[in-house]
Amino acid sequence: MPLNAVGREIPETIAGRPVKPFQGAFATVPQGRKHGGPLKTCRPRGNKVVPSLEEAIRNSGLSDGMTISFHHTYRNGDLLVLKVVELCERLGIRDLRLFPTALFPCHQGLIPYIERGVVTRIEGSMNGPVGAFVSQGGKLAAPAVLRSHGGRWRAAECGEVGIDVAFIAAPCADPYGNANGLGGSNPCGPISFSVIDSWVADHVIVVTDSLVPYPAIPPEIEQGYVDQVALVDRVGDPAGIVSGTLRVTRSPTQLRIARLAVDAVLAAGLVRAGMGFQAGAGGISLAATDFLAKEMKKRGIKAKFAIGGVTRYLVDMFREGLVEVILDGQAFDPESISSLREDVRHQIITPGFYADYNSLGCATYMLDFAFLGGTEVDLEFNVNVNTHSDGQLLHGIGGHQDVAAGAEVTVITIPTIRGRIPTIRERVTTVTTPGEVVDLIVTERGIAVNPRRQELAEDLKKAGLPLRSLEELRAEAERLVGKGKSPLFGDEVVAVIQWRDGTVIDVVRKVEGWE
Amino acid sequence: MELLREARCGSEDRSDALVCVRPGPGVRVEVTSKTGPMYEARIREVVGEVLGSYGVAGAEVRVTEQGAYDHVIAARLEGALYRAAGAGEAFHQPLPLARPRQGSPRDHLRRTRLYIPGNNARLLAFCDTFGPDCLLLDLEDAVPPEEKDAARFLVRRVLATLDFGDTELWVRINPLDRGGEEDLRVVLGGKPHGICLPKAESPVEITRLAGLLYELEGRLGLPWRVWIMPIIESPKGVAQAADIARVSERVVCLAFGAEDYTREVGCARSWEALLWARSQLVAAAKAAGIQASDTVYGELEDEVGLREEVRRAKALGFDGKGVIHPLQIGPVHEEFAPTPEEVRWAEGVVRAAAEAQSRSKGVVTYQGRMVDRPVLERARRVLALAQALRMEVGDAA
Repeated sequence: MPLNAVGREIPETIAGRPVKPFQGAFATVPQGRKHGGPLKTCRPRGNKVVPSLEEAIRNSGLSDGMTISFHHTYRNGDLLVLKVVELCERLGIRDLRLFPTALFPCHQGLIPYIERGVVTRIEGSMNGPVGAFVSQGGKLAAPAVLRSHGGRWRAAECGEVGIDVAFIAAPCADPYGNANGLGGSNPCGPISFSVIDSWVADHVIVVTDSLVPYPAIPPEIEQGYVDQVALVDRVGDPAGIVSGTLRVTRSPTQLRIARLAVDAVLAAGLVRAGMGFQAGAGGISLAATDFLAKEMKKRGIKAKFAIGGVTRYLVDMFREGLVEVILDGQAFDPESISSLREDVRHQIITPGFYADYNSLGCATYMLDFAFLGGTEVDLEFNVNVNTHSDGQLLHGIGGHQDVAAGAEVTVITIPTIRGRIPTIRERVTTVTTPGEVVDLIVTERGIAVNPRRQELAEDLKKAGLPLRSLEELRAEAERLVGKGKSPLFGDEVVAVIQWRDGTVIDVVRKVEGWE
Repeated sequence: MELLREARCGSEDRSDALVCVRPGPGVRVEVTSKTGPMYEARIREVVGEVLGSYGVAGAEVRVTEQGAYDHVIAARLEGALYRAAGAGEAFHQPLPLARPRQGSPRDHLRRTRLYIPGNNARLLAFCDTFGPDCLLLDLEDAVPPEEKDAARFLVRRVLATLDFGDTELWVRINPLDRGGEEDLRVVLGGKPHGICLPKAESPVEITRLAGLLYELEGRLGLPWRVWIMPIIESPKGVAQAADIARVSERVVCLAFGAEDYTREVGCARSWEALLWARSQLVAAAKAAGIQASDTVYGELEDEVGLREEVRRAKALGFDGKGVIHPLQIGPVHEEFAPTPEEVRWAEGVVRAAAEAQSRSKGVVTYQGRMVDRPVLERARRVLALAQALRMEVGDAA
């Protein structure tokens, strides 16, 4: 089996289709033209409202074997995916391919529908139980396909994944189909993940529980692309958008890692007037954002922009004037949504603006630095965010690849041991993001600098930061907890991990046993 | 070793392990690991090694672990064995150190002494990464009475296993007649640098502790002299502070504990109400030529208040402060840092002294003032601190 540029064995074909192996972060030259939906027209004073989702599905012509798409910005509060799948079964529609941006633990209820053949394929991130289920192998008609935020936009835009019916959960919509995530009684923040779906799908259904008079502003989803507006009692539960624990951690290890990460970007001279940075919503990222804000205040430094996952910590920096502009693709708490409503310098962006490989500009390419996480890293600086060391597929890619590829300095924050499992491996279980776009790995026991970035190593050393090689860190963790057994993988591919350009950086295989 | 009864030790908390042992004909080990099959074999190996080192031939061992490190599992097993077999010499054997360790100088930097509860497996698992000047593993107030025995084994394993770099390692034992002596016999096997004695009220206790240390150092083959840090936390202790400070060469630092003092005196926990005790303590320490370390600051979220209290303590002459969370370490170290003016002064003094020596001049002056030994020593201390903080220091240092 051929090896790709990160040394992974990639089958030549998957589900009967030829595979392009990963060649390098920026190696692919895109070919062809953009894909679009069918041309349509309408007459003045039309009304697109249908009283029920079931009727909308019937009108859409959805039938066996088709592809339906969703956004994930209700995160763990999504109600739409399961509702649509349930109605499809009732209408006798089977063999569906799901193309969500991501699935969450709340979608555990999909499993019986997969077992009954209503859903047979998934192209999208799977966080939690659905991923664990798919990991068992033999569950889907074709391996799942995971893409980054930018990668999914690209796949829809170039026609790699054709969408038959796009379902767009809209907290606020007008009868003409303009929709956004900021208004209504259950706001979830930007729904801009679905913009590309609305552009390319054969049929677009906006689903809302808050119908407002024309025009709904801002029109994240535009009237010209929308076929129907379906009414439901409740489109989603905004309580579910709150990501993990949205509090700065008190864990000494996480705080130490966050502190070191901030000290590293300070030492590298990246904290400077006019900078742009990415802030995440994990425990370490939030703590790092907090430390960063304090240092910026102390030094009188203001950032030009920050990209989210937006949390109230970032909003606080914005309101204090430490950050001039927020580019917001996803809101992780109610404060972020209020801020989006109040201030135009807090801007909604699409994944296309954020991270599309097949484009002439990505916001992530303008980042000075970014803090990202991971489940594992290896001695080549490759990062795994998808699987655990036991081979279970439990997480999506999110913007990880897009940000790492774009930022001038990509900082991975990771404890050397999680539970009792060492995170620094000789080889990661799955490569999500290649070492060529990873610069610093910050652990509680010190910082490893990618040998490609010698100048960074010198800056950090000069500042007295504890530099360690990944091999030293790996050995130290192994001394405390031992090596542990690794899972044995069979031949069956349960999921494909795409690089953001559409090539295959790795595949996830079924676990057959233990060494 | 023969097990007399069934016993258990540890917990099902994160990063901890619950180990149950009972007498059995042969050795049988059952492992339930949070990581599934990944570490079962390794955990059996750890259990086997510990049983072997205690010569246990008949035991049924059940380990339920929640991401516990090897040394935590080993310590929990030792705790269970202790409870099943009863106390004895076997539990006083030293452990080999996984990483070489040096003794610490009398005047080690002691800006922070970080308290870590001695039975908290989760915090202890990675307490090597916190970076205080002194790490203080606590067997006293932070450990409930029924877990004191278990905590000893955990603390000893942590001391023997982790690599603490430049951090000075201390154990706060219980008062000697309330378990402190057994604490010593176990934890010295992990080769700490010093022992903290709580509620110190008389030089007699210090002499007794020093005697025990002398005896155990010999028996355990400790390569250095174990220091003593008495914690003065009662009016009686304050009254005796001067004698406590100078009764033994091993005493290198007096620590102040305001909590108990405040209760006993019936005073407020305010700066004014504690000023006399603090001043008394600093004077007693300095008269004996040793360091003084201030009490902890309990408001974890209040960094401004912490910094203010450190500035005041430093101004009184304290060399360090107790901290209760790693978050407090950075601010305390920063506040104990000399100012740039202090560093320039210290460089000048040290340079003047060096020049005078090279020209065999008896009297050293700097900026028109005489530099005698204490002044020179103070200057050297300032420079050592500055260097520890990576401040710009000239050649003089």
